[in-house]
Amino acid sequence: MSKKVLVVDDDQDVRSFVVTVLEENQYMPLVAQDGIEGFEMIEKEKPDLVILDVLMPRGSGIRLYRKLKTDKNFNQIPIIMFTGITLRSFLKSQKALEEFKGGEVPEPDIYLEKPVEPEELIAAIKKKLG
Amino acid sequence: MSANKILIVDDEEIIVRLLSMSLRSDGYETVTALSGEQGLEVFKAESPDIVVTDIKMPGMDGLELLKMIKEIDPEKEVIIVTGHGDIDSTITALQYGASDFINKPVRDESLAIALDRAKAKIDIREKLREYTENLELKIAEATEDIRRKSNFQRLLIKSSNDAIVAFDHDWKVVVYNPEAARMFGEAAKDVRHKMTIDDLYTPKIARIFKNQAKKEKQHNMLPWRENIINTKDGRQIPVRYNSNVLHEKGDFVGTVSFFQDLTEIKRLETELVQSERLAAVGQTISGLAHYVKNILIGLQGGSYVVDVGIAKNNTEKFKTGWETIKRNIKRIGDLTQDLLTYSKQREPEFEPCLPNDIVDEVIELVKDFAESKDVFISKEFDPGIGEVAADSQTIHRSLLNLINNAIDACIEDEDTSKKHEVKVKTYRDKNNYFCFEVKDNGCGMDKNTQKQLFDPMFSSKGGKGTGLGLLVTSKLIEEHNGVIETKTSLGDGSTFTIKLPYEKAN
Repeated sequence: MSKKVLVVDDDQDVRSFVVTVLEENQYMPLVAQDGIEGFEMIEKEKPDLVILDVLMPRGSGIRLYRKLKTDKNFNQIPIIMFTGITLRSFLKSQKALEEFKGGEVPEPDIYLEKPVEPEELIAAIKKKLG
Repeated sequence: MSANKILIVDDEEIIVRLLSMSLRSDGYETVTALSGEQGLEVFKAESPDIVVTDIKMPGMDGLELLKMIKEIDPEKEVIIVTGHGDIDSTITALQYGASDFINKPVRDESLAIALDRAKAKIDIREKLREYTENLELKIAEATEDIRRKSNFQRLLIKSSNDAIVAFDHDWKVVVYNPEAARMFGEAAKDVRHKMTIDDLYTPKIARIFKNQAKKEKQHNMLPWRENIINTKDGRQIPVRYNSNVLHEKGDFVGTVSFFQDLTEIKRLETELVQSERLAAVGQTISGLAHYVKNILIGLQGGSYVVDVGIAKNNTEKFKTGWETIKRNIKRIGDLTQDLLTYSKQREPEFEPCLPNDIVDEVIELVKDFAESKDVFISKEFDPGIGEVAADSQTIHRSLLNLINNAIDACIEDEDTSKKHEVKVKTYRDKNNYFCFEVKDNGCGMDKNTQKQLFDPMFSSKGGKGTGLGLLVTSKLIEEHNGVIETKTSLGDGSTFTIKLPYEKAN
């Protein structure tokens, strides 16, 4: 059975792009439009990989990333950050949250800054899923 | 030191010896002489404290001796021994400064009393001298203290970073420190005790001080005020100043004022504004770049999906990709239009139009999208508005912006338990405006967001907003002589109201 990859992004254009890339490479795409829907989907579908946007309404990628990395049930799911904001801003907001709430989360292994060529995206996915 | 040495002068040796013995037994030290001349010698040699002399003696008599002694030392006490009824001599002795008289024959008690009195006088005189000397010392100390303090105050005034200027009750300058000289461009020597308030200050400032002195009974400090000072050498100095009317026991004695040079502060303020402006330009450009990048992401993604559709002959994919491309082309179009609207002055084109119908059109445009996000749009129209003369494009675009913002605020809201709603209301107010109210119960805004609401390229929507919407809206409304009002509360939603002058279509 093909592996499940969840795309969490509020931008319809990005979703259809990533979904197409996934389909072209024989993965099974799942989609969610925001952080909350994304988490529900992860609980329900147990995807093999999550492609996560950062700036979204209703539970940003910053928070969903934290939630997944600090939850024993989900911290093994590989995550590819896929976003328009720089890694520096992302890490800065994580740091701010750490200072505020305590705890530490690892830096994302793969951080792709949009725009990303399909080849680059698929290389990242394959690196994680083989 | 108590007086203890007594000179006894009498031409009768027996009396001298008797008195001397008697006094020695009382603890005094005595020296003796048997004539006026000898008495004077002994006086000079021994310097006794008290002299007891017989008045009648051959040669230099007691009066003569008294006179000589008083010439040498007026403070010595001389007790005169007289015979009965010798009034004239007594008066002369008094005139010469005798301290006391005892009658012959000299009785021990009366001598003791006279001596005690003389001693008491000497004591008092000594004490007085002590006090006087002390007083002089104290005055010298106090004077030095005052000098030190006044010097300290002078230095204090001199070294102050504030310009300090004080006037006496005739409005003559009495205090004028170096900073004042620098600020006003007049040397202290030309000002102090020479100039009056009218010579130094502009009429406007002088008037303020004079009025203040008239008005105030007690010394009340005025609050700090700001003003511009024109100096003699033609500089303009922004200053912050305050002054104090001085009263002494209720009488007006003068005023003192403190001036602070604000030149540096004003320069820094200007610099700050400048740098804020530069930062705003930077934010504008980076915001714009971000937005354009998002369009590019859309176009690249869309063309990839189209490519896949073509390669796989998959119409569905082809359509999805093409929709994406078209949507992003529209975003470029909208952005360009917003940028042009923002950068160009545009006269509104007044034409007869129906505001309520325009709102309907706009709602129709966004309704499907809103409902797909569980946001409901309701409307409440005032049919009394009817037809007005207005720029329909202004109304259309402004409302589209506000309603889209309201929908976004609902989508952004993390409180999913709310039933999200955007209420659009039209009405005429009592100031003859026709108004559009767009009210949402979405996420609302914090103070910081509110502050930047109308800043160019500020967007609370990440890369999804141009940051031009409200800016363009407010510009359009302004050009239409209207106003735009905002009410918001974080977590409860926001209300934006557009008010345009009501003019009937003719």
